[in-house]
Amino acid sequence: MTGTSYRELLLLALPQTVVVLAGLIALALDLSLFRNSTNRVRFSAGAAIACAGSLAAGCCILLSQTHGAIQTFQNGMLLSNPLTHLIQIALLLLAVLTILLSIDSTFTDHIGEYILLILLATAGMMFLVSTEDLLLIFVSLELLSLCLYVLTGFNKHSVHSAEAALKYFLFGGMSAAFLLFGFSYLYGLSGSTNLVRIAAATEGSVMDPLLMVAIVMTVTGFGFKVAAVPFHLWSPDAYEGAPAPAAAFIASASKVASFFIFAQVMVLGFAGTAGNAGWNVRAPGWAPLVAVVAALSLVLGNVAALAQKSVKRLLAYSAIAHAGYMLLAIVSHTQQSIAALLYYVLTYALTTIGAFGVVAVVEHQTGGDKLSDFAGLSRRAPLPSMCMLVFLLSLAGIPPLAGFFGKFYLFSAALAGTTASLSLLWLVILAVAMSAVSLYYYLQVLKRIYVEQPPADAAPIQISILSQIVLCLIAAIIILLGCAPNLLLRLIQNALNAIIA
Amino acid sequence: MVPIAYYLVLSALLFSIGAGAFLIKRNIITVFMSIELMLNAVNLSFVAFAYQWHAIRGQIFVFFVMVVAAAEAAVGLAIIIAVYRTRNTLNVDQIDLMKL
Amino acid sequence: MLAWTIYVSFLAAAVLLLLPENSARLARMIALIAATAGLLIVLETLATHHSGELISVAHIPWIPSLGITYHLASDGISMVLLLLTGIVAVAGILFSWNVEHRTREFFALYLALIGGVYGVFLSFDLFLLFVFYEIAIIPKYFLIAIWGSTRKEYGAMKLALYSFVGSAMVLIGIVAAYVVAGSRTTSLEELARFPFPVHFQMWAFPLVFVGFAILAGLWPFHTWAPTGHVAAPTGASMLLAGVVMKLGAYGCLRVAMMLFPLGMDPWGFHILFLNSWRDVFALLAVIGIVYGAMVALVQEDFKFVIGYSSVSHMGFVLLGLMTLNRIGLDGAILQMFSHGVIGGLLFAVVGRMVYDRTHTRDLAALEKLHLSKVIPFAAVTFVIASMASIGLPGFSGFVAELQILIGAWRAFPTAALLAGIGLAVGFAYTWRVMQKAFFGSSALAGDSALAGDSVLAAPAVHTPPPPITLPERVGAILLLGASLAVGLYPQMLLNLIIPALNSPLFEGLRKASWQ
Repeated sequence: MTGTSYRELLLLALPQTVVVLAGLIALALDLSLFRNSTNRVRFSAGAAIACAGSLAAGCCILLSQTHGAIQTFQNGMLLSNPLTHLIQIALLLLAVLTILLSIDSTFTDHIGEYILLILLATAGMMFLVSTEDLLLIFVSLELLSLCLYVLTGFNKHSVHSAEAALKYFLFGGMSAAFLLFGFSYLYGLSGSTNLVRIAAATEGSVMDPLLMVAIVMTVTGFGFKVAAVPFHLWSPDAYEGAPAPAAAFIASASKVASFFIFAQVMVLGFAGTAGNAGWNVRAPGWAPLVAVVAALSLVLGNVAALAQKSVKRLLAYSAIAHAGYMLLAIVSHTQQSIAALLYYVLTYALTTIGAFGVVAVVEHQTGGDKLSDFAGLSRRAPLPSMCMLVFLLSLAGIPPLAGFFGKFYLFSAALAGTTASLSLLWLVILAVAMSAVSLYYYLQVLKRIYVEQPPADAAPIQISILSQIVLCLIAAIIILLGCAPNLLLRLIQNALNAIIA
Repeated sequence: MVPIAYYLVLSALLFSIGAGAFLIKRNIITVFMSIELMLNAVNLSFVAFAYQWHAIRGQIFVFFVMVVAAAEAAVGLAIIIAVYRTRNTLNVDQIDLMKL
Repeated sequence: MLAWTIYVSFLAAAVLLLLPENSARLARMIALIAATAGLLIVLETLATHHSGELISVAHIPWIPSLGITYHLASDGISMVLLLLTGIVAVAGILFSWNVEHRTREFFALYLALIGGVYGVFLSFDLFLLFVFYEIAIIPKYFLIAIWGSTRKEYGAMKLALYSFVGSAMVLIGIVAAYVVAGSRTTSLEELARFPFPVHFQMWAFPLVFVGFAILAGLWPFHTWAPTGHVAAPTGASMLLAGVVMKLGAYGCLRVAMMLFPLGMDPWGFHILFLNSWRDVFALLAVIGIVYGAMVALVQEDFKFVIGYSSVSHMGFVLLGLMTLNRIGLDGAILQMFSHGVIGGLLFAVVGRMVYDRTHTRDLAALEKLHLSKVIPFAAVTFVIASMASIGLPGFSGFVAELQILIGAWRAFPTAALLAGIGLAVGFAYTWRVMQKAFFGSSALAGDSALAGDSVLAAPAVHTPPPPITLPERVGAILLLGASLAVGLYPQMLLNLIIPALNSPLFEGLRKASWQ
């Protein structure tokens, strides 16, 4: 390992370093200066530090973009290019939104630790999206996961929270082992841990049994991370038991990072072994496997969501269904469909964080997240109800909201494909049909909010101004991105063009 | 010299035992240990491959896996303690507050 | 200018949401002003462009990398439907004047729906058209679920899901068409010129046609229509029957038939006596006509009669489309206008004039009330509207259905005969419902009427119902006037429709199957 420049390394990892430092400062201050303050003050101070840190990290990213757009360190161990910048900024934004939405919550007294964990997880995700090396993928994925396990169990007063953390931890640990097993075979086949070299070494040897095992294991491992059927069992429990802001974070930011790295590994690392999932042009490889997982997720996620009584659980199943849509883009893996995947996952993450934000508000006031707790919400809290309307309709894919354009672009990109056009039609038809099913359960929630009368003793819900502003901001972004998708789409396409050129 | 296939078979065997135990065993600690077993099976195959390729990367990877496994143990045991405090049981079948 | 029909509606909807909680009067006024403004804009445009040529309203790139443009334009067919939307929107607000529960939300959703409908009729970009088409779904759901009556949540959910399933089918079709055409453009004009392969059109056409036709009440996918209409509040059922069902028929023509004309070519083999998708849909349309009329004949709920009659009348539209000859297509578009106006009026009479006063729609109960004496204006309106509905000369229904029948006679003589039977049954159920609802004829009721206490003897009404209000009169006159004007001078609309059908847009349709 000659010529390792620590200065270069530090520069490349500066945003992550800033984020971690901000977390540590928040923790230190919380344990020293604000030790005797009220929870509210402590949370505000922590959030302020976290926001400042994220802002600083964002500035670092933007600055590095101006001098030298594309840099790599040690053969792709650490990358810096327009695409990673875009995703990293999005992750920072999601982390900040999560922290802002949790200021009101009362589930914990360990505020410094809470903020540190979110920021550590964010740093993990930022590493995760800026590498092409299996080693760093594994380590940063574990950094992310470990933080998320703890966040899930953060509510010490709730039995559900601990149970959710346990299930998440056990399944997550097993998935890590599967992923690692796949990685070890990839290393064995190629002698390298770099995705590009692995692709070069495995090109065209689809039928090699070791490679097949590696493919299956890797897909299984990532399948757990993105909560795709049949590896989804942990997610409804984790979402339901976790404190709402933590669930929001798991459902949004970690989804973005997991999907990004899933696509990265599949597209770069298994470049020559995709096979084909088209109806009439089937060929063995990972694409048919992912296609089956996508189809199962679409069907099971949407159908199981119909039966849910808890809104968090409903959102969990809808997340499984949305994972199905996004896997569709990975199956077709063209440049267009990767752009569509990124657009979809970014807007989806924003929408979900907003939806969980509203759930957190309701949970905080009524003590539950059952459908019946939402009855007549529009009379008790008009603004959050309006935001929830936007979020759920966007999830259902109703124009003019971001979710609709995401779906349209995703489907058209998947259909266009690389080889035979329209060969993925079967999967697209399934996806569209299932999105029609999904409207039913989203409308069930909206019906409670808008059509039903509030319970007789219901008082108007008190919500802090900050939460209202954040929720409205998210809703506004979703409407804006639905009406003018080009704002985000252009960024994504430019970034993709830049790294391919 | 032992051919690499032997190591791989052993590693796959250990991994399968781990995965099987994960599904069958009912005590959380045992389930947790089966995850550790799976990780160590992977370590074995990494080392074997590293030996075959004469490349140090695989062995480095093993060190990272070991460190991560230790961190995972710390977090995992903490969560198990939290569950035990609230539920007074370590049987996975009894930790079933949330169902479909 | 025409684009402001959309903007005014959405802006007014937004303004209404910002109003304070209890400002019902203000909300009504704002809604009425917005809807009238929409109608005036359409009329103003009609005054200057009355020859049916293509007017491009807005044409700016929207998502350039995907070839999606924000293209609003209007040809003669759009103009006819825009006019219809304007008229029905104003009338619907007039007939919703008595909505007191969450008034501002009611009118906000109402106007959002109207805005979406205007948008569909004005879109000349496939993506944009679909966006507006889907925007219209959600307000419908809430309008019915919150302000509806009988089984409102069931009716609302059924309507929303049927619409969404239909639009899902359409979405598959248009995404596939977009990809097959090279993922470069969603412009309707360019796609209409693109030669889609025949085998592609063969499956895309039925998919998209059925997707849209679900909303147009194509048998056997019509079942949302009676339940939805019955559950909806008056204003919403007027919109449903008046314009929303036309969205479906318009989509069938503008997207399915215009883009995939070869999909109606013969298959090359026979299944029973069916030889092409065209035969299949013509058959379904005829079944709809006869079935709707037959079922309407035996309904006991006043509103269900009108609901099923809508299915029957929309069957004429679809039959007219499938004739593929000029006179049939002209008739189909005229029928869209005609049924929009008359169907809207019939629902207004049932829902607003009768039900809001008597609180019953059961024909047996109404029979005892002698409504012709109690609310004569409603009776007169209903009689005239029914006459228009069964196609009395002088009203728009006559011109429209006659043209469809002539067209159908040339294309499918048997179907024309069956549709004729449907007309006859239509006469029967109209007569029956008129008799029962307004001119109670049972001997007992007649006696008590002679005794002069018919109103007091009635079970449901203990006090004389309030008289017909001014907004109701204005709305009724507006709708009746529109129907009469078109009936007496159909050339007014035909002058718009014929040039539109002759335009290059329908080149493919003319070449493929014009007879």
